[in-house]
Amino acid sequence: MKPRLLTMFGVAMAMFGGVLGCASANSDRAAAGGAAGDLGANVGGASFGGTGAGGTSVAGMSDFGGAPSGGASATGDACEEHPTLLRSQGTELSLQLSPTLDGKPMAFGQTNAVSDGGSVVPLNFRFYISEVQLLPKSGDPVAVDLVTENGEAENYGMHLFNADDDDASTVRVLAPAGEYVGLSFALGIKLACNQQSPRDLADPLTDVSQMTWPHTGGFLYLRYEGRYTAAEGSAATPADIPSAVHMGGSITKEMVPRATVSGALSIDANGRATANLYVAVDEMFKGATSNVDVSDVAVGLLSTPEAIAGERLRRGLPELQLFTLGEFQAIQ
Amino acid sequence: MARASHRVALTVISAALLAACSSDATSSAQDNAPSLIVSTIPAGFPKGTNIELAPADNALTVERATLGKRLFYDSQLSRTSEVSCGSCHQQAYAFADPNQVSTGIEGRTGTRNAPSIVNAAWGKSFFWDGRARTLEEQAGKPIENPVEMDLTLADAVERVAADPSYLAAFQKAYGEAPSEASLQKALASFVRSVVSGSSAYDRHLRGDDSDFGEQRKRGEALFASEKAECFHCHPAGSLSNEGYFNNGTYTAGGDTGREQVTGRVGDIGKFKVPGLRNIALTAPYMHDGSLPTLEAVIDQYDAGGRGDPTTDPLIKPMSLTDEEKADLLEFLRSFTDDALLEDARFAP
Repeated sequence: MKPRLLTMFGVAMAMFGGVLGCASANSDRAAAGGAAGDLGANVGGASFGGTGAGGTSVAGMSDFGGAPSGGASATGDACEEHPTLLRSQGTELSLQLSPTLDGKPMAFGQTNAVSDGGSVVPLNFRFYISEVQLLPKSGDPVAVDLVTENGEAENYGMHLFNADDDDASTVRVLAPAGEYVGLSFALGIKLACNQQSPRDLADPLTDVSQMTWPHTGGFLYLRYEGRYTAAEGSAATPADIPSAVHMGGSITKEMVPRATVSGALSIDANGRATANLYVAVDEMFKGATSNVDVSDVAVGLLSTPEAIAGERLRRGLPELQLFTLGEFQAIQ
Repeated sequence: MARASHRVALTVISAALLAACSSDATSSAQDNAPSLIVSTIPAGFPKGTNIELAPADNALTVERATLGKRLFYDSQLSRTSEVSCGSCHQQAYAFADPNQVSTGIEGRTGTRNAPSIVNAAWGKSFFWDGRARTLEEQAGKPIENPVEMDLTLADAVERVAADPSYLAAFQKAYGEAPSEASLQKALASFVRSVVSGSSAYDRHLRGDDSDFGEQRKRGEALFASEKAECFHCHPAGSLSNEGYFNNGTYTAGGDTGREQVTGRVGDIGKFKVPGLRNIALTAPYMHDGSLPTLEAVIDQYDAGGRGDPTTDPLIKPMSLTDEEKADLLEFLRSFTDDALLEDARFAP
C-alpha cells in the first residue's frame, strides 16, 4: 500500500490538479508538463536585462531559458542533501542579507515607521536562495557553491534566509579569484527539491522551515507576514502594504525567479571578502500589491490573499529593485 | 518507493530490546520484556529517531532514561517534597495537565497550562515561550521555578546524592556522582524516551485506514486546505512547525509569551506551536488553559481569534459549517494513542 502521506498529497493534487496541470492525481510528485492555467502560464513579457548600477533584475527562469546559462548548477539536476562541491579551493565571499524598509534597515519584530506615518511590524520573513553565479566582466557566469561557516556545502545547495535568525542572515559562497560585475541567484529552490516531501528531507527543507505548502505540494520560495498600524487619525491599511505574501511556484515545472544584482566584486585569491546584499521590503510590497494580472490562474489555487500577493510578486519581479549590492570589502 | 518518514525505524540499542520492537513500537514494547528506550519515529515525523536526535554529550541509553524516569516522579525535587514533574505531566492525560494552570508547591499557581512532553525528542525549543533551546536546559527550570518546585539545582543534587541507590544509578548512567548537569541530562533522557506513534493517524499515514474513516478523511482535507489553514502551523505528520505564532488567544494585558524572551513588540502574544498528538486527551487548551474543549478551540479559530490586533494575519474567520467542525473534531481525535496512557514503561 502506498504510504498515506503520498495519498494525502494525491488528494490535494486531485483538488488542484486541474490548475496545476498534473499528470496524475495519485502523483508521486513526478514532474509532468505544465499546462495552461498553472502559475507559470503568464510570466512572459519581462526582459532579463535592465540592470542599473547596483540594481536588480529578476526574471522567471522558465521564460528565459530555464536553468541559467554558464556553468552547471552546484547540485546538478538532483535534489542532493550533500552536493559535491564544484571546487575545493576558493575565497569565501560572505553576503550579509540586510532587509530595508523605506531605505532604512528593517528591524524584524519591531515597529518600523513607513512613509504614510503608519508603521509595520514584520512577523515572519524568509526566502530561499540557490544556484548562485558570479558574473565576470566578460564570458560566462561562474557557478559557485553555497557553503557553511565550516566550508562544507550547504544542504541541497541552498540557503534559507530567516529574518528571525541572525545565523541565517549570512550567505557564504566559495568564489574563484577574479573581477566580477555582479552576481545572480535563484530566489527559490530547484524543481527536483520542490517535488520532494519535507518528511524525506533535511533542513532547510523540513516543516520547521515554515515554507511547506502542503495543499499544492512543494515549498514556498518566499514568505512574509507583518502587521501594519495606521497613524493616529488614519483608518484602513493602505492598499500597497500587504499583511502576508506567500510566493511559490509549481511542482510540475520550473518557475523559480532569478535575480541578477550588479556591483563590483573584486575577489582576491587570498583572504576573504564580504558584501551587503540589501533586500528592499517595500519593493516586495509594491510587487505583491501590484495590478499584475493573475486571472489565468484558477481560483482554486490562488484562493487566499497571501497566495495572490505572492504570485503578483513573482510575476512582477522583473520590474522591481528587490536586491541591491553594497559595501564590498576584501579582507586579507 | 520506501520513504524514511513512512517506516518506523527500529534501531535497537541492546539485544534485550529486540523483542520489544515492531512497527508499533510504543504499544508493542509492553508485550514482553518492555524496555524504556526504543529508537523510533512517529509516522510523518522528520528524519532522525529519538536516539539519533539526542545530543552527543547525552546519548540516549536505558540507564540514563531509567534514572530520568525515577527523577521525573520523585517529589524530592521540589522544596517541600510535594510535587514532582509527574504531578503536572500526567500519563493519564498524555503527559499534560488537566488543570487550567499548573499547581506547584504550597498550592502556588502559575499562569500557563503545562504542555505535554510527548515526542519532545523532535522539539527545537521548549516551554510555551521557547526559552529553553534543549531538553537538558528545559529540565532544570521547573525545579527552580518559585511557583513550581522552588528548589535550587544545587539542593536537588544534594538530596539525590544522599541516597546510595541514586549514587549507584548516576554512576551507572554517567560514570560520576550526581551533578546539576547529569541530573538535567537524565531527566531529558527520560523525556526523549516518551514517544507516541500508535494513533489511528499514525496508522493512516502508514497506509492503514482501518480506524480512519471518511469523516476523519474529510477533516484531514479541511485541515490541509486554504480554508482552515491549520497546516501552516501544524503540517501533516509532526503537526508542528516548531515556530511561534499569535493564534488569537492573546488579549491586551495577558501573558505576552515569546515577547518575554525576545523583548520584541512583534512577539507579543506569540507562543510555541504545540504538536497535536493526543490532543483530545490534553484539555484544557492554549497556553493559558482557557479553552476547556476541542470544540471551543475550533470555535475560536473559526471566529478568527479573540480580536486582538496582535493576532497573526493568517488567523481569519473561517465560516465553518457545523459539519466541517464535526469533521475537524473527528480528525483531531484520530491523533489519540491509547497505548501511551497505559504504557508501563513510562509509569512511575
